Amino acid sequence: MNQPVLAVEDLRVRLRTPRGPADVVNGLSYTVGAGETVAVVGESGSGKSVSVLALLGLLPARVATVTGTARLQGEDLLAMSPDRLREVRGPGAGMVFQDPMTSLNPVLTIGRQLVEGIRAHGDVSKPAARARAADLLREVGLPDPDRALDRYPHELSGGMRQRVVIAIALSNSPSLLIADEATTALDVTVQAQIIDLVEKLQDEHGTGVIWITHDLGVVAGIADRVLVMYGGRCVEDGTVDDVLERPAHPYTRGLLGSLPDLAAPVGPDGEVPELTAVPGLPPPPTDLPPGCVFWPRCPVRSDPRCEDEQPPLAIVSRAAAGAGATASGTTVSGATPSGAHEGDRAHLPHRAATWCAEGTSGTGSPAVAGTSGTGSPSGGAR
Amino acid sequence: MFGLVHLVPGDPVRLALGTRFSQETYDALRERSGLDQPLVEQFFTWFGRALTGDLGVSFRSGETVTSQIAERLPATLTLAFASILVALLIAIPLGTVSALRPRSLVDRVATVISQFGISVPDFWMGIVLILVFAGTLGWLPSGGYVPISEDPGAWLQRLLMPALVTGVVSGSVITRFVRSSMLEALGSDHVRTAQAKGLGTRQVFTWHVLRNALLPLVTVTGVQLAYLLSGVVVVEIVFSWPGLGQLALQAVEARDYPVLQGAILLFAVVFLVINLIVDLLYTAIDPRIRR
Repeated sequence: MNQPVLAVEDLRVRLRTPRGPADVVNGLSYTVGAGETVAVVGESGSGKSVSVLALLGLLPARVATVTGTARLQGEDLLAMSPDRLREVRGPGAGMVFQDPMTSLNPVLTIGRQLVEGIRAHGDVSKPAARARAADLLREVGLPDPDRALDRYPHELSGGMRQRVVIAIALSNSPSLLIADEATTALDVTVQAQIIDLVEKLQDEHGTGVIWITHDLGVVAGIADRVLVMYGGRCVEDGTVDDVLERPAHPYTRGLLGSLPDLAAPVGPDGEVPELTAVPGLPPPPTDLPPGCVFWPRCPVRSDPRCEDEQPPLAIVSRAAAGAGATASGTTVSGATPSGAHEGDRAHLPHRAATWCAEGTSGTGSPAVAGTSGTGSPSGGAR
Repeated sequence: MFGLVHLVPGDPVRLALGTRFSQETYDALRERSGLDQPLVEQFFTWFGRALTGDLGVSFRSGETVTSQIAERLPATLTLAFASILVALLIAIPLGTVSALRPRSLVDRVATVISQFGISVPDFWMGIVLILVFAGTLGWLPSGGYVPISEDPGAWLQRLLMPALVTGVVSGSVITRFVRSSMLEALGSDHVRTAQAKGLGTRQVFTWHVLRNALLPLVTVTGVQLAYLLSGVVVVEIVFSWPGLGQLALQAVEARDYPVLQGAILLFAVVFLVINLIVDLLYTAIDPRIRR
C-alpha cells in the first residue's frame, strides 16, 4: 500500500508528424496506488491515450520519443529492454482498448487469443491454458464460456467482445489495469455492467486502475482520484470530490459546465437552461502556446503571467485553508482534513495548474505561490 | 468467343491446302470440317461434342485437339507453378520489408524494383537474360523444354530463365498487394492488443499481421496463377517453350479453329476452377465468410 503500483514522473511524448514535431504529452506526473482507480479525463486530443500507450511502449518507435520515468512496482517501464517490457505487458499491466469491434483479431478464435496471452507468460500446457481461459470468461460474465472459446469475435456483440478484451487484459493477473476509453463505444447499460465488472475484479485482486475517459459521469461513479488533462498537461488533479465539486482550474470548470445538469431549475416557461460549452478548440500539439496551454480559450485570464508562463501545478485546497485567503470561501469549506480517507488525504492533495483558482482577479496567486514548495513535485512546471 | 474466333479473317481450308488446289478438294475438305454449315449449327455441334470431351480434330496436323493440349499441358503447368513460386519468393519478403518500414530507403528500393518489374516488357527481360546467361556467360541453354522425367537437371536449367521472367512480372504485382495489405494489418487495433498481451514480435507478426494479410494475397496470387496457366505467349516464344500459349498462337496463325477453341475453352475452365479454389480458401482463412 505504501509503494504505489505505478509512479509516473515527468512523462513527455513527442511525435514526429508531417506538420512538424508534436508535443503530445508535456510533463505528466501521477501515481496509482494498489486498488486505487485514477480517472484521466480530458477532451479528444488532450494526450490521454498517448500517455498510457507510451507507458507500455505501444507507440510506434519510429515516430514517438518518450522521456521521463514510469515506475511500475519500482521498475522503470521507459528504461526497460524490449524483452523485459514484453514480459511486463500482461502480468505487470493489462490494457483494455476503446473499440471492442476492432481490438480483437477477427480471424482467430476467442480461445486462441486468450490462450496465446496466457502461454506467453509461463510454461502452461495448452489444455491448462484453455481451462484458465474458460475461467476468465466466466469471471467476466460471458455466458457459456466453454463454447465461447471456439467462437470468433464477429459472433459476439460489442459488450461481449469488450468482456473478452477485459478477460485478455486480466489473464495474467496484472497489478495495473489500463482502460483506455473502455466503455465509450458501448451503450449505457452495457457500460454500467462493464464498470461494475471492473470494480468487482479490482476489489478481488487489488488491481490499480487507470481509467481514461471523457465521460464525467463514469468518473464520478468509479474513480478515487481524477486527473484532468489538457494540451498534454495535467491541469488539475485530486480526489473525485475535490475536482468534481470544487474545480479550481478554469478548464475543469468549463468541462463540468458542459454537462447537462438535471437538477438545475427550469426556467419560467419550462425551458431548460442552455449548456455552457468551452469555446474554441484545444491547441494543436504541433503549436502549443508559450504560456498556459488553456490561455487562448480561458474565460478568466485574471493573471497576466498566464499568457507566456505555464502556471505550476500547485496545491489548491490545502493552500487556501493554510493561507486563510479571504476570497476562498467555497474552497475552504470543502477541504476539511478530517474525512473518511484522512490517511489518504495527505497523499491526495488537490492540485491545479492555474494562477486564477478563485476566478476573481489575482487573489489566488499569492496563496498558491506561498505554498507550492510544500506540495508534491510540480510536474506541470516548465 | 466462338463467334470471335470465326470473325478472324482468313480461310482455314485455303491455308491448309496451300496455293494450288482444285475447287472439288476445297469443297470436300470444307464439308468434312463442317465449315459449310451455318455458324450457329457449327457452334452447337462443337459445343455438344465438347461436353463429351471431344474437342475435334486439328485442321493442320490432323491430331485430336485434346491430345495436342495434353501434350502441351505439362510444360505450361511447370512454367506456371515455377513462376508463381518465384513470384511469391520475391513478393512476400519484399512486400513485408516495405510494409514494416514504410517510406524508408528499403521501401523505396522495393517500390522501384516492383515498378520496374511491372513496366519492363517481359520479352525484353527474356532477351536480356538469354544474351547474358546463354550468350555471354554460356551458363544456361537459351530455350527449349525437357520433361522432368527425362532429365531433371536439364529440366531445371531450361526452366530457370522463363520462370524468372514471368515470376518477376507477377511478383511485382503481388508485392504491391502484400505491402498494402500488410500495412493495413499492421495498423489495425488488434495488433496493439496482441502486443499489449506481451506476445513476442515474431508471434505478433505471424498470427496477427501475416495471417490477416493472407486474404488479399490469396486473391491476387489466384489471379496471377490463372493468367500464367493460360500461357504466357510472348515468354513462351522467346524461350521456345512448348506451352499452351504457343499452341494457341500457332492455331491463330493457321486459323486452326478447333485447336483455338479448345485452348480458349481450357483457359476459361482454368479461370473458373482457380476462382473456385480461391473462394474455398477464403472460407478457410476468414471465419467471417463461413456460414
